[in-house]
Amino acid sequence: MTPGPLLSVAGVVLLLGLVVGPGRPQLWRILTLCGVAIGMGAAVRVLSGGGDWEWRSGFPLGGEAMHLRLDGVSALFLVLVCTVGGGGCVYGGEYWSDHHYPASAPRGRAWWNALLVSLGWVLLSANGLHFLLGWELFTVSAYFLITLDRQRLQVRAAGWLYLVASHTGTVCLFAFFALLAARTGSWDLGPLRGQAGLSSLFWLALLGFGVKAGLFPLHVWLPSAHANAPSHVSAILSGVALKMGVYGIVRFSGWLPVPAASGWVVIGLGSVSALLGIAFSVAQNDFKRMLAYCSVENVGIIFIGVGGAMLAVSHGDAPWGRLAMAGALLHVWNHGAFKSLLFLGAGSVLHAAGTREMSRLGGLWPRMPWTAGLFVLGSVAASGLPPLNGLVSEWLIYLGLFDAVAGRGPAGWAALPAILALATAGALALVGFVKTGALIFLGAPRTRAVARADECGWGMRVPMLALAAVCLAIGLAPVLFWPAVSRAVDAWHPAWATRESPAPLATLGLFQATLGILVATAAAALWYRAKSRGGRRAPTWDCGFRAPTARMQYTAASFAGITAGWFDWILQPMLRWRRPRGLFPTGAFRRESVPETVLERVISPVAAGVLRVSTAVRRLQHGRLQSYILYLVTGLLGLGVLVLLEGAP
Amino acid sequence: MNASLNLLIGLAMGLNLLALGSSRLPSLIRAMSLQGVVLGVMPLLLEQGADWRVGLVALATVVGKGVVIPSLLRRAMRAAHIDREMEPFIGFVPSLLLGAAGTIAAVALARALPLLPEHQGLLLVPGSIASVLTGFILLIGRAKAISQVCGYLILENGIYLFGLLLIHSTPLLVESGILLDLTVGVFVIGIIVDRIQRAFDSLDTRKLTVLRE
Repeated sequence: MTPGPLLSVAGVVLLLGLVVGPGRPQLWRILTLCGVAIGMGAAVRVLSGGGDWEWRSGFPLGGEAMHLRLDGVSALFLVLVCTVGGGGCVYGGEYWSDHHYPASAPRGRAWWNALLVSLGWVLLSANGLHFLLGWELFTVSAYFLITLDRQRLQVRAAGWLYLVASHTGTVCLFAFFALLAARTGSWDLGPLRGQAGLSSLFWLALLGFGVKAGLFPLHVWLPSAHANAPSHVSAILSGVALKMGVYGIVRFSGWLPVPAASGWVVIGLGSVSALLGIAFSVAQNDFKRMLAYCSVENVGIIFIGVGGAMLAVSHGDAPWGRLAMAGALLHVWNHGAFKSLLFLGAGSVLHAAGTREMSRLGGLWPRMPWTAGLFVLGSVAASGLPPLNGLVSEWLIYLGLFDAVAGRGPAGWAALPAILALATAGALALVGFVKTGALIFLGAPRTRAVARADECGWGMRVPMLALAAVCLAIGLAPVLFWPAVSRAVDAWHPAWATRESPAPLATLGLFQATLGILVATAAAALWYRAKSRGGRRAPTWDCGFRAPTARMQYTAASFAGITAGWFDWILQPMLRWRRPRGLFPTGAFRRESVPETVLERVISPVAAGVLRVSTAVRRLQHGRLQSYILYLVTGLLGLGVLVLLEGAP
Repeated sequence: MNASLNLLIGLAMGLNLLALGSSRLPSLIRAMSLQGVVLGVMPLLLEQGADWRVGLVALATVVGKGVVIPSLLRRAMRAAHIDREMEPFIGFVPSLLLGAAGTIAAVALARALPLLPEHQGLLLVPGSIASVLTGFILLIGRAKAISQVCGYLILENGIYLFGLLLIHSTPLLVESGILLDLTVGVFVIGIIVDRIQRAFDSLDTRKLTVLRE
């Protein structure tokens, strides 16, 4: 079957799920899983070399003829939508069940399918107007998913911030598509590299899609939205919805001509996002916020790759651009997989312990071994360590950038700082994840609720296992996934079309597999030894004290203190404390919180200023007819005077 | 002919000032209705061979502005039990001064305007501008709804005066349409006045501000 019928069947099945979903959870789950499986089939067919799919119809939708298109780039993103969409749908069944949330769970099921359909629509539509329709629908469905638990004030605030930020981005996209249509004379989208006059539009696209992707200064909505949404929603937001911003940039930097400076700007923004995103991440105490900032970092990594590839194109199609782009696109998959896994794991912890504050958790490993193991696996992947998938894509980007530096071209000047940023971000990510993993899972439980925590059920475990399997598969056998990524790169820049995989990839695969086997063997041996010998059991963090308490353990702030201290200039932590005084000190405390600096120090003051001006202006609208007539007369007289002055000379 | 027309317009301008200076509502209504009658007679003087159409316009204006509308207003006034403008936004003496200044400015402005030769010697344009200004001053400066209606009517009289310049080219239908609008407008305002009175126990339009969101 060609992708066309598959996609229409998938769409119909998902819409059917949307309709029946609120009332019948089981049927909804089956329909949604079928829908994403069929959609995935279509995408895999395109990625495995079945040829692009394009469909035009005379049927007008909103006054424009339908034009759908599935090529390598969109198929790659569609695979991600389907994977996380399916996983989240299974996970949500137990995590956000009708039993616990009788009011919002049915609503959530309908919006979930609406989100999946609109994401698919955005990826498929090759018409500016339809793209915008899908984009808006996607934004709104994501808003309703974020605010599922809308009784809580924080959730409503986060949803509101998300909606406002998204629409700021959408305004730019409206301008982008409208100007594009005005200059080309049609809303139809497609490769238009020849028309040099369109290049300045790229900045609008970068702004609009950058907000959605969460690039550093535009990421303000991201931490609160991802932290306050239900965890399966956070997973799809972080794993997939952010990637729509990436998709927009990749799509339109491939189809449209770009300004000469764009590659430099994109790689620069990527480096800043990677570095500052992870700096904020390390300093967080809320583990879902920590994961959200880590997404800013990963989007930065992807943009480093994309920017590198754009530089390579503008400097005469240098072959290293292909590596950078392949790394970026593979990282889209990888981040989608491991970040969804991490958010699902975080949801499992939240479900069991009821708090997102790391400093109130601890000691969950023996209580939740599956969640702990899978969370650590995701952390290893996110830190870019072997033998998992995070390393593969980052390594491809590294290879591309190293080649750029070795080429001694002008692009090397951008690549070298990007390498440094990438390496620093990787090291900081490791710090962040060691801190998160250690505080949540190791040590002793810090509260009674945590001590009573239970492992999640299979309904939540299976999707996490599936995502972990994806991480392992890409990590251990990257060569298998190369053709798909390579087709996507070809669709981005057809001039680079080649089938051969870079030689080092096979070596990397072999190395990863060997290391994986070694680690697995060592782990099995250790486990066997511990099992057979028994060993002595003692409370964690005993340290020789007679009566240790859980409060003697490291807190989140103390663990990350040194690292976060390097970034105090941007983190601006708020510190309130009282030193212990005297021989028998009482009432000492220390509170430290890290604000969202860009939001609270830049955007909020500006918004407050705008609000003050509007309030002042609003006084003019007081409801007194007499004064309104006075405004009118004054305006008329003013106009009359103007006309007289114009006519006088 | 021009002389008598100018005399009438001068009379209308004088009535403007009277309207501005009167604090009692009956005298304000009287000034307004008298102005309406004066204006109604003007088409007959402007036109040599009195056409039946022009006669009809004149008759309708005199009856509408001189009898129907004032009686509606008087009835509203009685229903609301008020006959005085108590707290104007712009006092009576300042309103008079403003009105006088506006009249002088209107005469000065009319000299600067490019008019047709047959309208050069007439006071039509300054009279019209002065009436419009007077209407605006009443609308801006008075708090009671009935005074504002009077202001609105005087404003309309100014527009009507300007319309006399075009009496040959304005169809009868437009003329009668304007008059009908005006009557309906006054009618509606009469009802609203009644409602304001019942809702707020006063006709002070300042109290309407509590209705905003």
